[in-house]
Amino acid sequence: MEKIHKPKKVFVQGPISPEFVAKSIASHQSKTGIGAHAIFLGQIRADLKEGGTVTGIDYTAYEEMAEQAFHDIREAAFAKFELTCMHIYHSLGLVPTGEISLFVFVSSPHRRAAFEASEYIVEEIKANVPIFGKELVGEAGHVWKENT
Amino acid sequence: MSFQVKYFGMLAEIAGLSDEVWNAAGGLTVGQFRAQMLDKYPAMRDKKFKIAVNQKISEDFVLIETPAEIALLPPFAGG
Repeated sequence: MEKIHKPKKVFVQGPISPEFVAKSIASHQSKTGIGAHAIFLGQIRADLKEGGTVTGIDYTAYEEMAEQAFHDIREAAFAKFELTCMHIYHSLGLVPTGEISLFVFVSSPHRRAAFEASEYIVEEIKANVPIFGKELVGEAGHVWKENT
Repeated sequence: MSFQVKYFGMLAEIAGLSDEVWNAAGGLTVGQFRAQMLDKYPAMRDKKFKIAVNQKISEDFVLIETPAEIALLPPFAGG
């Protein structure tokens, strides 16, 4: 039977806490068809730039277009891989160095689909979702991040 | 014609605002709009960006049909 995947809220304000990640894992214990979870966490790196060290990233997005892009990525991933469920969360606003800004969580009966789907989803997000990042550098400077 | 323009990231910084109404004498393609915009904000000339029309990234030959929401999108940085 074809499942319908409703649009889900992806954006959260500020960093994604380890407690939230733990609760998300716990909430899947009743889904006993799952044999494998794959989790990707994006963490803010203290890169060294010309004006100093990165202290955090201030994220903004073209939210309406981004929500649609996330929805398209979800649909494509469900079509491509054998997944039981999928959750994507991304931060908006300030995320300090060392904290989590992206949480991708896929679950499948078997490991291969989980591994492959998580990589696919992260790469799609980096390339196709209109999210912008202002890297805060040193005391008062900033540079705009660009995915490569 | 007139339509809504949204600026994001470094482009909002250059424009000094995040959205405005764009008024043009006649019909405009995306490429013609881009040229007008670079005249207004010359500091954007050396910046990389894509133009979305109604949330779809569009080529320069596309004719803008109102009502339209145009967005200037600098390089993506999600993740």
